Amino acid sequence: MIEIRDLVKVYRGRRGTVRANDGITLHVGPGEVFGLLGHNGAGKTTLLSQVVGLLRPTGGSIHLDGCDLVARPALARSLCSLQQQAQVPMVGITPRAAVELTGRIRGGGRREVVRRGAALAAALDIERWYDTPGEKLSGGVLRLVSFAMAAVEPGRVVMLDEPSNDVDPVRRRLLWQEVRRLADEGTAVLLVTHAVAEAERVVDRLAVLDRGRVVAEATPSALKGGADADLRVELVLPPGRPAPVLPPCVHDAHHSGPRLVARAPADAADAVGHWLVGQQRTGAVEEWHLGALSLEDVYVRLVGEDADRAGSEEVHRAALVR
Amino acid sequence: MRHWCVSYGLLLRWQVIRLAAVLPVVLVVQAMMAVGIVVGFAFLVPALDPQTALYLSTGAPTVTLLTVGLVIVPQMVAQAKLEGRFDVERALPVPRLALLAADLTLWLLAVLPGVALGLLTAVLRFDVALRPGPLVVPAVLLVAVTATAVGYALAHLLRPVLAVLASQVLVFSVLLFSPVNFPAERLPDWLAAVHDVLPVQYMAQAVRESLTAPLGGVAWTPYAVLAAWCLAGLAVTGAAMARRR
Repeated sequence: MIEIRDLVKVYRGRRGTVRANDGITLHVGPGEVFGLLGHNGAGKTTLLSQVVGLLRPTGGSIHLDGCDLVARPALARSLCSLQQQAQVPMVGITPRAAVELTGRIRGGGRREVVRRGAALAAALDIERWYDTPGEKLSGGVLRLVSFAMAAVEPGRVVMLDEPSNDVDPVRRRLLWQEVRRLADEGTAVLLVTHAVAEAERVVDRLAVLDRGRVVAEATPSALKGGADADLRVELVLPPGRPAPVLPPCVHDAHHSGPRLVARAPADAADAVGHWLVGQQRTGAVEEWHLGALSLEDVYVRLVGEDADRAGSEEVHRAALVR
Repeated sequence: MRHWCVSYGLLLRWQVIRLAAVLPVVLVVQAMMAVGIVVGFAFLVPALDPQTALYLSTGAPTVTLLTVGLVIVPQMVAQAKLEGRFDVERALPVPRLALLAADLTLWLLAVLPGVALGLLTAVLRFDVALRPGPLVVPAVLLVAVTATAVGYALAHLLRPVLAVLASQVLVFSVLLFSPVNFPAERLPDWLAAVHDVLPVQYMAQAVRESLTAPLGGVAWTPYAVLAAWCLAGLAVTGAAMARRR
């Protein structure tokens, strides 16, 4: 379906150049939810903007079923639907008008967009605000409305840039169900999100971007290392107590307040479990968890905890606003 | 073509819904401005001869139409850029010039009542005899589309702050240094020569003659010059709107 090859985007500014995308190669098939993870400024939004024809790649290619989307941006806009990261200003417009008009503009029939819009509003549990002017809606509801605008007439590819921002936990689940439903109907979904733990449940495959490059690409379970992966050891220490001396097989320990998170090999599960029970009995540990690594653990290991990157995000915004 | 027309209709509907609350205010302000230009400029000239009265009366609609294209539309685009709406609209599968046409239609409809009221004020205030003919339609459209094409190109090519500034400089130049409300003979030779190339004096002439049906007949040169400027403006604007950074 969508083939991105060696995609390069360089922003040139007064303060030098930034390689926001630096040789990205990805393939997303029909019916697949493909996650894009990465720090702010890793190049995720830049990638989506090039697919939909808002930005011109500096190098590389983007093809959809063999059609060159870089050469045909109008076709890209018609085949790809984008929920942008920025909130859609909806002053004076009700969700119903926004969703139905967007659906019509994207080529949907009148009855079809009315039906699909209402179904989306019901599925996302925003029906009670469907006829309320946008200025009276909360940020989370507006976010769900802009998802519905992208999903009502999705085309071949739907790209969602942080769709769950500001959305409450219950409606987030509904949102992920609808994302899954879109894929099940045959649409390819490219999902940018920082909600790593939630993304794990909805994506089929994902790529981790760091400084414009793909540093990992696999299914969530393959990224976590499969059955032989390390285990996650988490201790909660009593207030004021120092951390106990860890067994030699427990490594990569990180403190965060009273919490200590570390890793242990899978074949040491029994030994570590016994040690944890013992520690809790002596009062050295208040609470503990031993389980599979989360995607978030793997993600943090891949990109590091240094959030202070020479990000492309600000440069990207400046390029679009100009 | 069908895709173009459907897109235009839907975009226009979107804009009407979006701006329904402010349109009545715009309508009133534009009407006040159109009347204000007729009445206010008359204070600058102590003794109004028939020619001056004619220029002020028919210059007001031209200035109002230019304001739509050179000020209102670029300011709306600049605001859309700052709000993030600009990219949402750009990502829609619609022809670029359909976006321009929808914006233009909306604002044109918002100012036309003011234009009519301004003309009525002129007739009552200066006793000017107006004989509007069918050429009013192409004249108004050519002026509005040409000005909007220029305004849109500015707004797309410049940063929002610069676009707003440029639009204000342009409208200031039109009001004070262009032969719209007065004959070109009053300008210094060099400025008159500049206006021989620019579209503004042809806009004023086309609107004036379409409203007064002069005895010597209507000159076609303004229409030809405006059509050329209009096409060139739309070509540049279309390219600016399609430009990917």
